[in-house]
Amino acid sequence: MSEGYRQQPGGPGQKTRKDGKRVAGKQAFPPPGSGGSKPNMATRDLDFIPESVGGKEPQPAGSHIHDRVRTGTSVGREMPLVDSNAKVTGQAWYGDDVRLPNEVIGKILRSPHHYARIKSIDTSRVEALPGVLAVATGADAPHRFGVLPVTKDEHAMSVEKVRHVGDLVACVAAIDEATALEALNLFDVEWELLEPVFDPKKGLEDADEPIHWRGKYHLARTNVQKRVFQEFGDRSLVEKPHAESHGKWSMAGVHHGFTEPHAVVAHWDPNGRLQLYTPQQVPHYTHRALSTVLDVPMHQINVIRTFVGGGFGGKSDPFPHEMCAAILSRKSGRPVRITFDREEVYWINRGRHPSHIEVKMTADEDARISGFDIDALIDGGGFASFGHVTSYYNGVLATAPYELGSFHYTGARVWTNKPASGAMRGHGAVNTRCAVEVGLDEMAETMQVDPIDLRLANLLPPHSRTISGFRITSNGMREALEKVRKGSNWDEKFRKMPLGKGIGIGCGFFISGSGLPIHWDPNRFPHATVHMQVDMDGGVTVHTGAADIGQGSTTAIAQVVSEVLALPIEMIHVRCHESDTSPVDLGSYSSRVTFMNANAAIRAALEIREQLLNAAWEILGYHPNNLIMNDRRIYYKHDPAIGVSYLKALHKAQEDKGALIASGAYRSPPMGGVHKGAAAGLAPAYSFSAYVAEVDVDIETGMIKCTNVWAAHDCGKALNPLAVKGQIIGSCHMGLGQVLSEKMVYGRTGHLQNANLLDYKIPSVHEMPHVEPIIVESCDPEGPFGAKEAGEGPLLPILPAVVNAVYDAIGIRLRTLPLTPDVVFKGIEKTLKASEFDDPTDLPSPRLTFSSMQPKLVARAQEHKIRDKARQRTEDTSPYVNGVLFGFDPTIPLEDQVEGWRTATEPDPEQLAELGLAGRAWLKKEQRHMEGEN
Amino acid sequence: MLMPPFTLHNPTTVEEACSLAGILLEKGEEFDWVAGGTDLLPNYKWHLNPKPHVISLARIEGVDTLSLHEIGCMARLTDLTLENGIHPLIVEAASKVASSLVRRNATLGGNICLDTRCFWYNQGELWRRSIDWCHKADCGTGADCRVIPNQNTLCVATYQGDIAPTLMVLDAEVHLIGPNGLRTLPLAEFYQLDGMTKNVLKKGEFLLKVTLSEEGAGRVGSYQKLRVRDSWDFPEAGVAASWIPGDVNSLQIATTALESIPRCHPEEVAAVLEDGWDGMTSVKALAAGVRKSVQPVNNTSLPPRYRKSMVRVLTKRAVQKMIE
Repeated sequence: MSEGYRQQPGGPGQKTRKDGKRVAGKQAFPPPGSGGSKPNMATRDLDFIPESVGGKEPQPAGSHIHDRVRTGTSVGREMPLVDSNAKVTGQAWYGDDVRLPNEVIGKILRSPHHYARIKSIDTSRVEALPGVLAVATGADAPHRFGVLPVTKDEHAMSVEKVRHVGDLVACVAAIDEATALEALNLFDVEWELLEPVFDPKKGLEDADEPIHWRGKYHLARTNVQKRVFQEFGDRSLVEKPHAESHGKWSMAGVHHGFTEPHAVVAHWDPNGRLQLYTPQQVPHYTHRALSTVLDVPMHQINVIRTFVGGGFGGKSDPFPHEMCAAILSRKSGRPVRITFDREEVYWINRGRHPSHIEVKMTADEDARISGFDIDALIDGGGFASFGHVTSYYNGVLATAPYELGSFHYTGARVWTNKPASGAMRGHGAVNTRCAVEVGLDEMAETMQVDPIDLRLANLLPPHSRTISGFRITSNGMREALEKVRKGSNWDEKFRKMPLGKGIGIGCGFFISGSGLPIHWDPNRFPHATVHMQVDMDGGVTVHTGAADIGQGSTTAIAQVVSEVLALPIEMIHVRCHESDTSPVDLGSYSSRVTFMNANAAIRAALEIREQLLNAAWEILGYHPNNLIMNDRRIYYKHDPAIGVSYLKALHKAQEDKGALIASGAYRSPPMGGVHKGAAAGLAPAYSFSAYVAEVDVDIETGMIKCTNVWAAHDCGKALNPLAVKGQIIGSCHMGLGQVLSEKMVYGRTGHLQNANLLDYKIPSVHEMPHVEPIIVESCDPEGPFGAKEAGEGPLLPILPAVVNAVYDAIGIRLRTLPLTPDVVFKGIEKTLKASEFDDPTDLPSPRLTFSSMQPKLVARAQEHKIRDKARQRTEDTSPYVNGVLFGFDPTIPLEDQVEGWRTATEPDPEQLAELGLAGRAWLKKEQRHMEGEN
Repeated sequence: MLMPPFTLHNPTTVEEACSLAGILLEKGEEFDWVAGGTDLLPNYKWHLNPKPHVISLARIEGVDTLSLHEIGCMARLTDLTLENGIHPLIVEAASKVASSLVRRNATLGGNICLDTRCFWYNQGELWRRSIDWCHKADCGTGADCRVIPNQNTLCVATYQGDIAPTLMVLDAEVHLIGPNGLRTLPLAEFYQLDGMTKNVLKKGEFLLKVTLSEEGAGRVGSYQKLRVRDSWDFPEAGVAASWIPGDVNSLQIATTALESIPRCHPEEVAAVLEDGWDGMTSVKALAAGVRKSVQPVNNTSLPPRYRKSMVRVLTKRAVQKMIE
């Protein structure tokens, strides 16, 4: 039996000794691309080729449009990330690893005041210090920038006033760090102190000096940056609830806690172009902001994204220090490096918003969820950052996975004199999700039903529409719930364990790529573009702007190209660091990269594939429909002996034109409603997840130890199961931090008290539970090979799962995050005081006796399961919109069926009196409507 | 983060170290001792009271002894966590200090002489400037205490060492040496209020070794540590208990991480013993007594009210575990 089909006619070109070993230096150069020491084609691996195209890979969720280009090469295989060698050998170059000849050190003068006007800055003493090469202040860069075009409120350095302790005032470049630090003490700044605001509730009131001024759009004289009102559905349903839950939450701000502090190197090359090295998630926005601030056209700037030592949303704004480095470098004529201390990392922040969230929910006599009523007041700190979006996400991302009778949301984001909040893994969805899932647990408790069954009987099916108009495609929520129930042995444990031991459930729902590209119209330009080039050596160079921040986007792109072209992953080279060579990409946020860039990469690879197959057609005489691509070879499907090597086909295709070039793009389809804010939360696909957490609570000390987590996440299709599991486990760790120990502590003077990694308590390996990652594959029709996001969504369910587990353990509902031991202890003390017991160890553990509702829910869930399966496999393609569960006809607009069904983005005057905390922002008028009132 | 420059001295004998200290004192030069550096050097990086000279004990031979009765100042905490014939109570406490990485460098001497901590103090220079400094590191401004304002006489920074309370309940003695010779005193008398004075070490003196008497070494004990994470974190409260097995009258309790100094609680123990020992009832009374006697302030991660409440639980658990 031969070893298989050779890649190349003739021998492998190796001279060997009699004993079979190679002779060093005596090797004939093997034909390029022939496979080196693997000259023979590997056999086709049917285990990784889908059933729909004759393979053995099961497809319970149905077939996919990309199935026909599956070659079984890379997709679905566990493989280490392509940049892992560089990382484990210490050769990955992060921001602070960049060293340019003659570089000098930049340092930033930061505000020691919470809120103050800068009356004057005298830099003469700084300039006189030997070794100082350049000094810059706000006056050097008067243009504003910001990550969102609608809220550009930042400067490279403060112009006019500083807005929090640590805000940038000036910067200096010097020959070494010691000189730069010394120089910082020589700035003479004259301040006029202003009255700071720390409490977001105060931010809703009129102030003498609002932190920013938005002119005619400013809301009275408050510090409200953005207010949102959204109401959908039939509000009469909530009037006579069968069960309800009402909770007020207070959630502390948290920080990303990435390993690598921010660092930047700026250098103006001899031609006067700026080369800027920075660990950015979103290099393109930095590119734009640099152009604005420096007054230089974009084509004269090259943004080089270094390796990113963790981002999680914290490196996705264009940052003032990036501007500072560029300004100092321009002034000094030398490359300038700025590296942050950890303290500075906390001051630039952009972490999760400290939030006050109130959730009321009701269920009707059939245990259908008749209404969600959410109010979220979020503390934005000194700048807008992504806050405009966060204000929406806090509400709208709660409109699924459940079918709702009505939905009401009021949100407000206020400026305070604290470091700016921004986007963080699970952007805007995490806090509300926790409040909602705990509310469901409480409603299940009142109705005496199992909370998992309550959820299973109220899920939106695949291919449906939410109450807010989001288009749901694939949906693995049900499978995720069923799998964690089984995996955790839920039915044997829930409400059955002794005091101090508990188990809890939580679900999650998240966008897989924001449907709206921030800077342009999605109907005019694509979300993502990928370029591809294959030259004579056979290697495939892929150019993309997708920013690998450790999540593995480079690997995902290499994998899909490798899959389409049937080439080993080593032959795919992804170039993604420089804006000079990468097509414009929106960057790594909103969990968009795998979905959008991999789709674009597949399109580019399909073009190359076509050219290769046409060349093989010319050589072999068989039409491409009858050709198979497999491991560096193209052959006739009925006789593998009739074939041609990949390289030969490539060279044939290159005749007359040289290297093969292709370009692929991805654009999301038109979707969503037309109401104000309808684009917020809109995505081409959504991920779903369900976690069960098990905890031990020390009833005497309030210490919580999470011991086990069963974590099921629907990522559509796991392109690389190893990476998906890594994301799930990592998300658990990050979410556990927020629920158990992490918080940004602002003391009585408004200072951030714990701007370091000792006092900001990220869980250690000892706190990490055993996590059982469970991958659910719902095969998204538009995802690349069916894939959806797996980077942010998996964080959401861990918070409510732990909070609900704590209730199961000690019977106390806590609504303050994080659940530090003192918070839990306070809850225990309060319960003890109200009880007949003296010793907390005597407290009763919650128990559950099912009501008559339970079997009804189980039966409904069973019916829905059949419905969902048919819809998932597109055996049932009838329309389904939120409201069908309440008896409405999905083919007629709901407004025409129900009197009182509404879609509102502003409150009615009669509603104003009963709005929640954030809703009170609607009592104020914008300046343009306040003629004469000011 | 750039450490301020300093001159590092590396004596190789105790005598050389003492004479070096004597010379610097004579010249009026300020200096610090450094052993493992896990406490001092991070503080230096934050520019917390750095000195122009640092004398390292690392090259001195013979000061890392490890035995049941004597432990040298340079004994690494990692070695105290292994079975080296060390008293099990010390092993228990040492293995709860910080993280394994820190323990490899940190020393017993350093842990006993740990600088007191406070979240108004353990911060970078710029941060402290934004609060106009504090009493402990006032940078020449005469700044007030930020924990308890309007009194600039007392520093209430918290002592957060783990090992000292266990050594106290084992009746350990410390041996201090300096240009004026050697002196020995019980560890219980070593610490001195306040958060800046910290202990009785005179200028130029350092802690040479700790010794346990035959009786102290025969004691059995337990140490309970309160912390948010099982690694890295300093204690938010710590209680050590010991006794000569079977003899309740020998019971000793010491607490740490609650005030500026760790201390023994002989009065609270005596008060309970006076009423006659009555098993769990006495344990509970003792726990309540110790809780009442401590006065934590708001300068560590967890709120003082909670830390105080936990003293009751920790004391109860320490005594229960010990008696078992």
